[in-house]
Amino acid sequence: MANDLTFWKNRVHVETSREDLETNRADLETSRRDFLTRMGFVLAASALAGCSRGAVQKAIPFLIKPEETMPGVATWYASTCGACSAGCGLLVKTRDGRPIKIEGNTESPLSGGGTCASGQATVLSLYDAERLKGPTWLGVPVTWQDVDARIEERLRAAMAGRHNLVLLSGTIVSPSTRALIAEWKARVPTFRHVVYDAVSFSALRRATGACFAIDGLPHYRFDRATTIVGIGADFLGTWLSPVEFTRQYARRRRPDAAGVMSRHYQFEAGVSLTGTNADHRVPIAASQQGAVALAILRRIAIEAGVETGAEQVDGAIDEGAVASAAEDLWRHRGASLVVSGSQDTATQIVVHAINALLGNIGTTVDIESPSLQKQGDDRSLAQLVDEMERGDIHGLMLYGVNPAYDFPDAARFARGLESVALTISFADRLDETASLAHAVCPDHHFLEAWNDAEAVTASYSLAQPAIAPLLDTRAAQDSLLKWLGKEPDFYAYVREFWRSHIHPTDARGRTFDELWDHALHDGVYHRDVPAAKTPPFRPSRAFTAAWQSAAHEVGGRQRSSAAPAADRYELHLYETVAIRDGRHANNPWLQELPDPVTKITWGNYLVLAPSLARRLGVESGDVVRMGIPDAQIELPAYVQPGQSPGTVSIALGYGRQHAGKVAYGVGANAFPLVTSFDGERQYHRGGVVLQKAGRSEPLATTQAHHSMEGRPIVRTTTLSALLSEETEARPEAASLWADREGGPHRWGLAIDLNSCTGCSACVTACQAENNVPVVGRDEVLRGREMHWIRIDAYTGGSEDHPETLVQPMMCQHCQNAPCETVCPVAATTHSSDGLNQQVYNRCIGTRYCENNCPYKVRRFNWFRYAQNEAFDFNMNNPVGRMVLNPDVTVRSRGVMEKCSMCIQRVQDGKLLAKQEGRSVADGDIKTACQQVCPADSIVFGDLNDPESRVARMRAGQRHYLVLDEIGTKPNVGYLMKIKNRSEA
Amino acid sequence: MTPSALAPVSPQKPRPAPRLVQPWIAADVSARRITDEVMHPLISRPGAAWLASFALAVLALAVGVASVAYEVATGVGVWGLNKTVGWAFDITNFVFWIGIGHAGTLISAILLLLRQQWRTSISRSAEAMTIFAVLCAAVFPLIHMGRPWLAFWVIPYPNSRGPLWVNFRSPLLWDVFAINTYLTISLVFWYLGMIPDFATLRDRTAAGSRRLVYSLLSFGWNGSARTWSRYETATTILAGLATPLVISVHTIVSMDFATSVLPGWHSTVFPPYFVAGAVFSGFGMVLTLLIITRTVMHLEHYISIRHLEVMAKVMLLTGSIVGLAYALEFFNAWYGGNVYERYAFVNRASGPYAWCFWIMVLCNVLAPQLLWIRRVRRSVAALFLLSIMVNIGMWFERFVIIVTSLHRSYLPSSWTMYRPTIIEVGTLVGSFGLFFTCFLAFIRVLPMIAMWEVKAVTGHASETTHE
Repeated sequence: MANDLTFWKNRVHVETSREDLETNRADLETSRRDFLTRMGFVLAASALAGCSRGAVQKAIPFLIKPEETMPGVATWYASTCGACSAGCGLLVKTRDGRPIKIEGNTESPLSGGGTCASGQATVLSLYDAERLKGPTWLGVPVTWQDVDARIEERLRAAMAGRHNLVLLSGTIVSPSTRALIAEWKARVPTFRHVVYDAVSFSALRRATGACFAIDGLPHYRFDRATTIVGIGADFLGTWLSPVEFTRQYARRRRPDAAGVMSRHYQFEAGVSLTGTNADHRVPIAASQQGAVALAILRRIAIEAGVETGAEQVDGAIDEGAVASAAEDLWRHRGASLVVSGSQDTATQIVVHAINALLGNIGTTVDIESPSLQKQGDDRSLAQLVDEMERGDIHGLMLYGVNPAYDFPDAARFARGLESVALTISFADRLDETASLAHAVCPDHHFLEAWNDAEAVTASYSLAQPAIAPLLDTRAAQDSLLKWLGKEPDFYAYVREFWRSHIHPTDARGRTFDELWDHALHDGVYHRDVPAAKTPPFRPSRAFTAAWQSAAHEVGGRQRSSAAPAADRYELHLYETVAIRDGRHANNPWLQELPDPVTKITWGNYLVLAPSLARRLGVESGDVVRMGIPDAQIELPAYVQPGQSPGTVSIALGYGRQHAGKVAYGVGANAFPLVTSFDGERQYHRGGVVLQKAGRSEPLATTQAHHSMEGRPIVRTTTLSALLSEETEARPEAASLWADREGGPHRWGLAIDLNSCTGCSACVTACQAENNVPVVGRDEVLRGREMHWIRIDAYTGGSEDHPETLVQPMMCQHCQNAPCETVCPVAATTHSSDGLNQQVYNRCIGTRYCENNCPYKVRRFNWFRYAQNEAFDFNMNNPVGRMVLNPDVTVRSRGVMEKCSMCIQRVQDGKLLAKQEGRSVADGDIKTACQQVCPADSIVFGDLNDPESRVARMRAGQRHYLVLDEIGTKPNVGYLMKIKNRSEA
Repeated sequence: MTPSALAPVSPQKPRPAPRLVQPWIAADVSARRITDEVMHPLISRPGAAWLASFALAVLALAVGVASVAYEVATGVGVWGLNKTVGWAFDITNFVFWIGIGHAGTLISAILLLLRQQWRTSISRSAEAMTIFAVLCAAVFPLIHMGRPWLAFWVIPYPNSRGPLWVNFRSPLLWDVFAINTYLTISLVFWYLGMIPDFATLRDRTAAGSRRLVYSLLSFGWNGSARTWSRYETATTILAGLATPLVISVHTIVSMDFATSVLPGWHSTVFPPYFVAGAVFSGFGMVLTLLIITRTVMHLEHYISIRHLEVMAKVMLLTGSIVGLAYALEFFNAWYGGNVYERYAFVNRASGPYAWCFWIMVLCNVLAPQLLWIRRVRRSVAALFLLSIMVNIGMWFERFVIIVTSLHRSYLPSSWTMYRPTIIEVGTLVGSFGLFFTCFLAFIRVLPMIAMWEVKAVTGHASETTHE
């Protein structure tokens, strides 16, 4: 025991220590005395160890509490969403230093307080266990110094050799990052920036440039439009800026004020979320977008007295609907809007011409402050791939893109990549492209990073870290600064950019620090553009010539694409609300989010019309082999009424091989089916052959039956009927029983079915707020998804022109709740505030309440969903569990659960009011589903207060209770859906 | 033959002998022969048929134990239930087994009060069947729980869990009381009925541990007139107590459904309909069991074709009541004009589970109508087939009521299908395993025919009694 106690410092030290021991073997000879000493020590130690408690697993993290944090109290940071390029303003809720929920920033003039489902779910992506833990070089983890040294050496060589360097990125809406890239361009003459979007808007961009000479996209204003015509543009779901557009659209879907409600026509091939909301939805083949635009243009031009120069096209389009749409557009000229999702420049020019002839430019089509989203240019990417094949590119940086997955000919891109001497990816994981790159320098998650955004000109927003980086990652901008030889401090860079570019135009005469602090606090900043007295838009001679030639071109193309062969079909590729272009594929919340239209989770499928399904002899779930000349894809069929009979639709974004274990093997990749026409990516094509594969693959749907069976569940009427009949509010059904005695409050919800689009953001918001587990495809197939709120979608009417009605359905918090009487142990009870409460630790799991619930909103924990290898989603790893809301219990197996009306938020609001010595004011408390809703369709409040918003909605003429006749007296009510039908 | 086991002298005034009615047991069957024959299985080595049956039953029980163990260890998710269908095989099996039990109580209590002599031969095994069926039934409410280890929370007793108490408004809680009462009364009644026979066994067994057990079980029975008198009184009182249970237990079980808001469950016809169905299914099971037992154990002269015929008549009556109830449900659904209710019944007869419904109609309504024919009633083979059909039909009746009502209720958005898993089938097999293991053990360790009662109705006994 002569040795001094030493601590090993590392493995090397261990080895040397061993050597020391070997050499000093004599010291290891144990004498009797030593033996007794050691035995005494062991005895004493074990006795002492026996006295101690086990290791404390759940320690309060702050021994010395940081001044501004309070354990158990959330801290909020204003930030900007990074889920897509729309850059919605966010408020990030952090608890004990970790972001657990994001909300929309009500200060944001664009998105308001709303967010979308994928935005909501990005907080879970922060805790994705598949994220890289640090930089890699040739697939081997290395240190930042190491990777920087290697990269800088090669970059220096490239710059010295005047080799081509390319930064390939998605759309960058951050003005500071764009300034940084501009700096690179200035410093490195051979440096080039190529932008592309997996789901491209390059035709609209090109058309906008050609018509209005601006570099951007028009900023559409649906809130100013009384007539809206969408041609293949899913603007409420996935097109451009869905949260902002939903907010604008919903503002014009409130029929209670006369003359406010807009009328919406939608011409589209597949049934989109937007299409299900339209007053008139007209199925067209995917290739007919141009024909529809042209037909509208012809009618508008006749009204406007302008020559179109294009001849009549004989197509199979619904002339009646076109005439009716054109008539409405003309009647509301100046307050109407036509948008198109076409990737054909000529068609987009025709659409611009329609808007111009209608006088919509400057009102509903804002070109003064254009949208800066979707800057991608398909032609420059095609050119880049050519250059790569030729070996002309020496260095390639990939930022926010995954071309090895979403480039149509991914193999060709991968081959081209081989000839590049240095490829650097900023991806957060070893995705399809990063796994081919030399260096991967993982970027922060947006919640860990400083950034700014300008999605619409002059509307800025800031992003700030809500958590210190979880992993050894570095902001891509810091990497770019470092390699440029500058201080890698993007925070300082953003500040400096704002000081030099934004502060000078600030009209309020503040110091920069004041401006910065305000902007950082608010999250958003709107630059006051001096009211430039630009004259109203007047179509120039050149503009007229341009659209006339475009119209001629479109007409010619429509004529040449004559009737296709009988067994050839068209294919239409679309994005889903959840997965979008594939970037969210490894997010289990989004994989399990039922598609707003089909209600299918976990995978993509081939959507076909009932008539086509009959012709092919397939049913939903039968696998169909789809053949095109250069590719084949096999997917289960889904029969969707309203789908254009000649067109089949497939969602993009699935079939990710390297996104992580959640995404692996889910669906098939449809990007190889993307084609190109006139240099632009095309998301539809013709000449598709369909064949039954002879096997079937069940679709994991959360709703198997879409007919309402004539039951008055979603009530609907037309606007004219509502306004003319002076519809009386339906009195609640009489009851034989005395009203339940209550406390001072009776919480309730009112849901406006008219403004609700069914976007399903509330489903994900609820999942995030209430720790709702993900159960996986197999369990969804068994009908066991756990969502506390669901969006029921009912389809009725004819097969070709169906009516779709959606209804958010959650616990109705019945005053006479059938679940409460049947529980043998009183595990579900009624609170004095009118809430139906589930007491998890009292529940023994008889499921009698589930059976007796007429609304079927109760969810049973069939298994243990947390910390269970069989459910290997976010709740099965310690990082993924960091997203859990500490205010909400994680339920154990064998207990029932359901919507609690966000009881934790109600309690919070009541406590706050009590602290402040006042009663709870209307609007103090918002449920998660209400807060996320971009359409503001869900309103929470006190039904005992006749002045509360919810009570006033409940007293309105559109209000009704679902299944009122069985006497459950729900505290959740609905406002009837109104269709603003054209009388013609 | 010991005097203690002789037939008692009835305390009541004897009825005039029914001259034209044959005695239920032939007069040439002596009391000694009865004792010998009934005791035979208890003292002899088991035969191959019994051993094979017992092995099969234990195997089935093992399957059930494994299925339940897996389910309790993993979660109720190993069954095929879902967000819409919260009960299926579990509660179907529960109601099925509870129903089976009813024949035993009916035979031992109501028929005793009604002085039906034919009940004597079958009462013991019918009562045993009741107890085993109730045991099988009781397993299901327990294992269907998400957290069965907390099942004791349904028992209202002073506890340390604060103000938590059971919910007396819940029919499931009523079930707890109903089943426990039923099981208790049935056990006491069964045991009481066996005391004179235990005394016989005690007296016929050589000294040893076996005799000790019989001595203890026979409670010091001495066969005196006073003992018999007390015994008769006690039996009658217990029969009186058990009689309302025949009605109440299944009434309460039916209230699990009747008090709910679910179309297809919410119906006032359920209590009488369920009681009739229970007796119907119980007699079906008694017939199945006794036809096998009388053949295998050669007890044809105790359980004669006449016994079988009487039971067939009960089946015909109750089966017809059940058929009427089915028709009434459909009439009410149509006449009530409630769209949900109407759909529930249209779906029952023509929806995806229509095949279950039509099996039920065939087995429970149409097939028993053959019993109007005397030749069918007196054909053992036909009765056996019909009794099996009734068992199947009554299981399907409960399945149809539970699953077709649940899988498509108010909101079509939640409509789903239910498909059982192998674990649920294993659990059902296991419940049969438990039942037959108990029953097969019973016929080897306890006298399966009430000797003292049978002796009282032999031709010999009735002649001596009535003279």
